[in-house]
Amino acid sequence: MVEFLETDGILRIKTVCPRNCFDSCGIIAYVKNGKIIKIEGDPEHPITRGHLCAKGYAALHRTYSPLRIKYPMKRVGPRGEKKFVQISWEDALNEISQKLKELHSEYGGEALMEYRYGGNRDIIAPLVAGRFLNLYGATMLGGTFCDASEYAGFIYTYGSLQFVPMEIWSEHTECVVIWGHRPEATHIHMIPFIYRAQERGAKLIVIDPRFSLLAMRSDLYLQPRPGTDGALALGMANYILEKNLEDRDFIERHTFGFEEFKKLVEEWPVERASEVTGVPVEKIKEAAEIIATRDTIIQLGMGLNRYTNSHNAVRAIACLAGLTGNIGKPGACCGFLDKSIHHFLTAKSELILFPEGAKINKKRRLVCITGANEAILAAKDPPIKAVICWRGSFIPQLMNVNKTLKAIEKLDLFVVIEQFMTDAADYADYILPACSDFEQGGLIPPYGHRYLQAMVPVIPPLYESRPDLEIWSELGRRLGFEKYFPEGWTWLDWAKILLPEEILDKIISPNGPWKVPPEIYPEVPYSNGKFPTPSGKLEFWSQKIVDYGKGKEGDWSPLPIYYEPVESPVTNPEISKKYPLIMISTLSPVRTHSQYINLPWMREIEGEPFIEINPEDAKIRGVNNGDLVCVFNDRGKLIVRARVTATIKKGVVNIFNGWWVKDGACPNCLTEVYAGGPRALGKAIFRMDDYSPAGTLDGQSGAYGCCLVEVKKVVQ
Amino acid sequence: MRTDQKESLTIFFDLDKCVGCHACEVACKQAHNLDVGPRLIKVVSLERVENGKVELISVPMSCFHCYDPPCLKVCPTKAIVQHKDSGAVLVNKTKCIGCKVCLLACPFGAPQLDNDGKMIKCDLCIDRLQKNEKPACVSACPVEALQFSTTREVPFIIKEKWLNYLWKVKGSL
Repeated sequence: MVEFLETDGILRIKTVCPRNCFDSCGIIAYVKNGKIIKIEGDPEHPITRGHLCAKGYAALHRTYSPLRIKYPMKRVGPRGEKKFVQISWEDALNEISQKLKELHSEYGGEALMEYRYGGNRDIIAPLVAGRFLNLYGATMLGGTFCDASEYAGFIYTYGSLQFVPMEIWSEHTECVVIWGHRPEATHIHMIPFIYRAQERGAKLIVIDPRFSLLAMRSDLYLQPRPGTDGALALGMANYILEKNLEDRDFIERHTFGFEEFKKLVEEWPVERASEVTGVPVEKIKEAAEIIATRDTIIQLGMGLNRYTNSHNAVRAIACLAGLTGNIGKPGACCGFLDKSIHHFLTAKSELILFPEGAKINKKRRLVCITGANEAILAAKDPPIKAVICWRGSFIPQLMNVNKTLKAIEKLDLFVVIEQFMTDAADYADYILPACSDFEQGGLIPPYGHRYLQAMVPVIPPLYESRPDLEIWSELGRRLGFEKYFPEGWTWLDWAKILLPEEILDKIISPNGPWKVPPEIYPEVPYSNGKFPTPSGKLEFWSQKIVDYGKGKEGDWSPLPIYYEPVESPVTNPEISKKYPLIMISTLSPVRTHSQYINLPWMREIEGEPFIEINPEDAKIRGVNNGDLVCVFNDRGKLIVRARVTATIKKGVVNIFNGWWVKDGACPNCLTEVYAGGPRALGKAIFRMDDYSPAGTLDGQSGAYGCCLVEVKKVVQ
Repeated sequence: MRTDQKESLTIFFDLDKCVGCHACEVACKQAHNLDVGPRLIKVVSLERVENGKVELISVPMSCFHCYDPPCLKVCPTKAIVQHKDSGAVLVNKTKCIGCKVCLLACPFGAPQLDNDGKMIKCDLCIDRLQKNEKPACVSACPVEALQFSTTREVPFIIKEKWLNYLWKVKGSL
């Protein structure tokens, strides 16, 4: 099935970038004598059109980096002291399996948990791992710290998460609103589509606490205080109703609960919204008028997920689109990702997760990843004693690093499958060398477009590394589940369970990418005015949220009410006297969260860790551009350079997310474990049968932006 | 200075498009297999506040491959030459003595000292051009802010862009 085109001894192989990113770029790898000699964008990819990004072009630098972990290692000193010795795969797997058997007989399966996130977005290895974890009876990892609250916001309003593809809206829309999103850093291939819409005369509105080059090119820029987006949307809705700009016909035919929503909106005169958000009244009115009078695309980013009230903020914005009829048209939609391909690809995933004939308990403990550290600290009966960490950065990416380090202390077994010596690898008992994305196969479900592609193993595994799914299968065979992990099965064998061969043929090199046909997922979602909600309509008022919330702690308001983030200058006036600045941690264009920042090329571009601070805030603290500053609160401190810039709102500071703890600049040393709603996070311990898939009804994305700090100059 | 009247190939940029993503820089590193140190193309970002309004600009700067290159003129060993067909200004490393005079002569900061002590600069991806490929930075640019054409064509492209802007966005000429 996999065929490669060859000229002059050079293979030209199509593959895909598997990073946690909207774009899932088509890649062409040129391979000579088993070595990749060049990486280019695939010109046949209709969205990424032959271009990658800074991270994509660092593929060789990363794959062939001398920093790669080359062989399995075992800890010999105390945890975290970084003393390791090389051991064989055989010994490593045998010792880990032996420990897992012991833990299982002493505590039961729930003593084990995986920690995994989107370091590589291939879905096959996680399903194979899931089969192992189900057979073992492990504590399941659920939810996402990424998108769950926004997802919940849309589920309760529209019933699903779909978006008009960019290649369509860019040809139809009259206005693009980029809200809490930074495509320059995280969604670069959307920019040409925004430019195309502008070329056609569409307006551009950018809403972001940080001014940007895209905001420079916008018609209107709004700079709200972080975490107040819900108030902003309600203020706009108020003005729209006051001026009778709402889409009456759409509201009457396709929405539910308008009168109740209207009452809520009446509490939000533009002046009040302005006071809460810090956005001038005139700008709120102008934005509202543009959105109400034009076919508008509202593209949200992940930024809104970062606050405790995020599900309501997203509901308010989704309702704003409903109020103005900006949904169900080729040029009008509101959303932040498109899950069509994901659903298409995972429709048969249960066949892998729950193999026929196996006895699997589906009511086991589930831990929401957002509070994985809290859960390990709190778990009893049984305690969580072992964590296998892979495709994710356990230490820098979870809120409150101190809690994570304490959680690791509690473990009897901490296995890290990695390519580089990350913070987590430093603390591992066993380090297993992982393959890069060029050395293992898989399937990538993009969330920013609808083109399906396969990640093809273009070179054999480097050094002693092994594909992730092989590592899990090896563990499975050693724990007595031989018949569920057939010897010699590759990614392709597992892929055939998920997709018919004729589709696999369409997506694997030299073919692909392949667009999921519109018959399966309509290109213009909700165009028939039907929404997969309980009422079949767009729901301003959600009974579903009330019903799902019964007996569960949290905020289960049926209307998108606004309340302050859990940690903000308004919520905590006393704390904010000591720590007056809101710290947000956004994304750098040269890395994906904590990936790539260990690479010399990327460090050269980004320079030393820095914090962005407004000139007025800097001035009253005697801080000049380039000064070394201490950023601190009761949870910790960081020493970084000050980047004094008028692009950031007064009262807000920004430090890029993803710096490793050992670099001394990881923002999560200062954050607390807070989650977006609606469901209260508590200690993050739930049950599989009392939790929604991917947390889509529970929310609970990481509220990284609810963090107050102070900045002071370091006197040298 | 070139004595023929042939047109040159040139990288040019659309300042209304660059968003400072750095893809060009990393693609250039890959194409030339560079270590940390030389950055043959670098995105320079500036910020200013005018009447209370913030303004930003990002410009990917490499080498303009001058028609009459100051670096070439000052080079004492004639290590800098001009490629006949493309007009690319190239360094012959075997002749370079690392005196850094070209670095001081160039108003745009194009020549840089490589880690081996010899000069290095943007070579317009001359190897790629010979294979009919565009320079690495240009083919990388996801927003197509970096473009590649001949010196004859560039003014026509800019003319068209300007009229398009007036006609489509402003609504009239």
